[in-house]
Amino acid sequence: MSVTAHPSSTPEGTDAYDPVFSGAVLEQLGEILARYPTKQAALLPALWIVQRARGWISDRNMAEVAEVLGLTPAYVKGVVTFYTMYHQHPVGKHFVQVCTTSPCNICGAEAVAKAFLETTGSKELGATSPDGKWTVIEVECLGACGFATPVLVDDDFIESVTPDKVPELVRKYK
Amino acid sequence: MADELINLTIDGAPVSVPKGTLVIEAAKQAGVLVPHYCYHPGLPVAGVCRMCLVEIEKAPKLQIACATQVAEGMVVRTQSPQAKQGRMGVLELLLINHPLDCPICDQAGECELQDFTFQEGRPATRYSPDYAKRFNPVEDFGPDVLYVPNRCILCTRCVRFMEDVAKEPVLNVSERGDRAFIGIHPEARLDHPWAGNVVDLCPVGSLLSKDFLHKARAWELDKTASICTGCSQGCNVTLDTRDNIVVRVRPRPNLDVNRYFICDHGRMNYRWMNRGDRIEAPLVQRDGELHAADWDEACERVATLLRGAGGRAVALVSPKASTEALFLARELFTGLDWRGAFQVVMGEEAPLAGVPNLALRAERAPNAKGAELLGYTRDYAATLAAAESAAIVLVLDEPDLVVRTAGTLIYVGTVLPDGARAATVVLPIANVAEEDGTFVNRDGRAQRYFQAKPAPGMARPAWWVFSELAAAAGRGERIASADEAFERLSASVDGLRGLVPA
Amino acid sequence: MGYPHKPHPRETVVLSKYFGDADARTYKGWVKRGGYEMLAQALTMEPAKVIDIVKESGLRGRGGAGFPTGLKWSFMPKEKKKPHYLCVNADESEPGTFKDREIMRWTPHALLEGSAIAAHAIQAEVVYIYIRGEFTEPWTYMERALAEASAAKVFGAIKIYLHRGAGAYICGEETALMNSIEGKRGNPRIKPPFPAAAGLFGMPTTINNVETLAAVPPILKQGAAWYKGLSLSSPKSTGTKLFSVCGHVQKPGNYEVTMGFPLKDLVYELCGGMRSGRTLKACIPGGSSVPILNREETESCLLDYEGVVERGSMLGSGGVIVFDDSADMVYQIMRLARFYAHESCAQCTQCREGTAWTTKILERILAGQGKMADLDLLLDLSENMTGKTICVLSDSCAAPVVSGIKRFKNEFEDYIAGRRKPVMVA
Repeated sequence: MSVTAHPSSTPEGTDAYDPVFSGAVLEQLGEILARYPTKQAALLPALWIVQRARGWISDRNMAEVAEVLGLTPAYVKGVVTFYTMYHQHPVGKHFVQVCTTSPCNICGAEAVAKAFLETTGSKELGATSPDGKWTVIEVECLGACGFATPVLVDDDFIESVTPDKVPELVRKYK
Repeated sequence: MADELINLTIDGAPVSVPKGTLVIEAAKQAGVLVPHYCYHPGLPVAGVCRMCLVEIEKAPKLQIACATQVAEGMVVRTQSPQAKQGRMGVLELLLINHPLDCPICDQAGECELQDFTFQEGRPATRYSPDYAKRFNPVEDFGPDVLYVPNRCILCTRCVRFMEDVAKEPVLNVSERGDRAFIGIHPEARLDHPWAGNVVDLCPVGSLLSKDFLHKARAWELDKTASICTGCSQGCNVTLDTRDNIVVRVRPRPNLDVNRYFICDHGRMNYRWMNRGDRIEAPLVQRDGELHAADWDEACERVATLLRGAGGRAVALVSPKASTEALFLARELFTGLDWRGAFQVVMGEEAPLAGVPNLALRAERAPNAKGAELLGYTRDYAATLAAAESAAIVLVLDEPDLVVRTAGTLIYVGTVLPDGARAATVVLPIANVAEEDGTFVNRDGRAQRYFQAKPAPGMARPAWWVFSELAAAAGRGERIASADEAFERLSASVDGLRGLVPA
Repeated sequence: MGYPHKPHPRETVVLSKYFGDADARTYKGWVKRGGYEMLAQALTMEPAKVIDIVKESGLRGRGGAGFPTGLKWSFMPKEKKKPHYLCVNADESEPGTFKDREIMRWTPHALLEGSAIAAHAIQAEVVYIYIRGEFTEPWTYMERALAEASAAKVFGAIKIYLHRGAGAYICGEETALMNSIEGKRGNPRIKPPFPAAAGLFGMPTTINNVETLAAVPPILKQGAAWYKGLSLSSPKSTGTKLFSVCGHVQKPGNYEVTMGFPLKDLVYELCGGMRSGRTLKACIPGGSSVPILNREETESCLLDYEGVVERGSMLGSGGVIVFDDSADMVYQIMRLARFYAHESCAQCTQCREGTAWTTKILERILAGQGKMADLDLLLDLSENMTGKTICVLSDSCAAPVVSGIKRFKNEFEDYIAGRRKPVMVA
């Protein structure tokens, strides 16, 4: 299925927008579009592509995705804000998700989250550390309850994390 | 099969409706209004507010009436203790974060949250003061619409209207859970030509019209059925007046013309109805000036001109005039070499994509079709030229017109333009809000509008004026009412024959 | 197998046979182990015949609802007039449940094979496997396996695609899952229409759980009668189930046992029992959306659909969460309520506002500001949140609250009466 690239335009008063969907990325989207009978169904995959490329999804990105898929920016924004894994603002170089729902909670998950906050220097959950390297959040059930406490660091799913293992874990990521 | 009727019982009353009817609609036949918010007959069913919970025999759980189709022998109980408890639960949960804004909220008095809470809500809160209410600042969505998130009950009528009826999804639901609100992309504005309908659709005071903001209380308003004068679509509207001033225009449902909607152009197009600079008395030319006179004198002056008159009569009329007026204005010149014309201001058409045959029409006048049916042409330039040598020129409510004529100029209108200072007689008339009348829309549909406020001073409906002139000149009988005027009209005009006011 | 444990002798190893066997993840390895033979066979059978076998086996949906699978497949139109779809629900987000991830990362081909057989049975030409966004590891293995198997052309004309979720528990609800694939907010749909009539893209659709589909090749191989015979208690519950046991046990993990297996034995024997010096206080047998059982109920509960209902709960997803006497039940119920409040899609009034208010009330109780009236309020709220919404997330929030107050009322009263120190700040 062919796709029309978003024309690179300079919105008034802002820096030139560098589109995500051009060249190879546009081709990749084309392959994805071939899997579905509607363009709209490629929305979640397209948003993942944007987040992988830019680290987060800005309003401008949402407008680009909307144009490429024949949707409105408002519609895309409604979808982005529904799914919690899409970042609507920049995050630290490493994004840490600690499960603290009940099965992990009774196995000390909150202490693990606290250990991450202390070790990374992030003042609070959701805030980026002063050196810009870490953002730590608590998330709901990660589906690894028997391996408490599971933690996602970027795309790495790490099982059975305990507070004492946290410093070494943090050191691994530079 | 299409006419198959289903028989069921609602609150003990037998009801017979076509197959496929929703229980909430069938209930109307039994005189039962099932409380609801997200449901609207002009929008696709959402089933999210859960307000319309009813008990249906044999169903293990309460069902939502807006999404349940009737079935033969179905027994529905809207007032069972279980159903009422379910609805009371919904109301309580809608109110926990809803601010006690009634004293300052525009919706008060026409608010469905107020109405149903009074009817079946809890008498007291269990939430305040122990728990804090959610707070978000007011947002400006665009040209006329304000969004007050605190009051929003997330019924999503506005989102569905923009997505499915206007076909421009510019509103969304943002976030999830109790953090959810109605959102708009920062680069977008709610400036669709039909966007104002979201304010009507909003059951509470969350989406507000800036134009109407803090202008009047709902219970102070008198409501009158009228027809929009913005274009030739002929949308049915309600004029809301307060102390005889038109303060708001809202759509009136008509499934054949405008469904439940009007465009923003028509919605905002009412201030002229309140103009103060009106002609308030008949004026007659004397000693080079116009002097106020009474109707008798003015009519007699015109009658003198008409009695035994010959030659050409030219009428330049506004396509906003009522069909009755246009008809009687024509009849007035029977026997003369008559030609009449009108011109219509044109604009850009703006359809409501999700509704067939509904648009803000390019022709920005409500009665061009009526004028056509009566023999007025669009040869404006030619008619204007003919006026120069006409014996009598009648101008009906066209204030921007400059007419040069060797003959007599009669100006009949609402405001006095400079171009009418040379007129022999100036006669004041009512505007659309001040009379009963009929417009014929672009599809040939004759529709009635009614008087919402009194005409100023001695101004009278135009049909009355022409009837009096005809009677004074011995050219016709006096007509006593707008209805009678219409009867005369429908008896003699193709396209309107046999019509009777509904 | 309860990875990383060796299978316990009392387990019935069917789905978990190759958990821990890295070679089984590869296409060649899977074929060596008899993989894709059943698919090849099924593709030569009449779709209706495949449905009959699955019906006969008594297989029921393993995602939580327990709806008879063969019956669900039979709802699809027999006459093919429109595109049919199969959606695989790999959104596994029910707290306490972690079995589908094991199937995907250890035996991805089992899922692919089961999905393809199901697609054939319901005459679907396209399969979407909806994997939750956080399952980065299972995704990698599924992607690899799909590429290998597709290259080997085992799926015939059936196209299988992976679709990644982005963080929403509610997308595990079958109609929300479809909306999510379609590129919309993951809102559940009102029914009717039902998916088999108008589902994905408005076409006839079946949605099945990962574990359900993984059971299909063994059923075809060893026969419906064999699967039906795997039943220790209620004849309506057949086959094996992967129970994900977590919380306060010595050996948490996935354990595959025959339906009707005693919960007591699962906890005390297979999982090694309680931690040193601890006693069992509570157990949620089927993922957090089902009522909490107290100790007596837990120790007398048989693990099949009917057995758990008898004890006042539900088998659900089979996510067994064990709480010992150190657990603060009020806090954990609050944490569950907070989970539901976070995951509510926001459509229904009762869920959107009710889950949040429930959480707030529990937080106040934990902050030492609760009142006795709060318990009645919570029960009343839960009543309003049950049976009145588009989907059962609302009911799921109410379940631990109602069962918790009923069985552990003293813990609530301790906070309210000030006998227990507040653990939160208001």
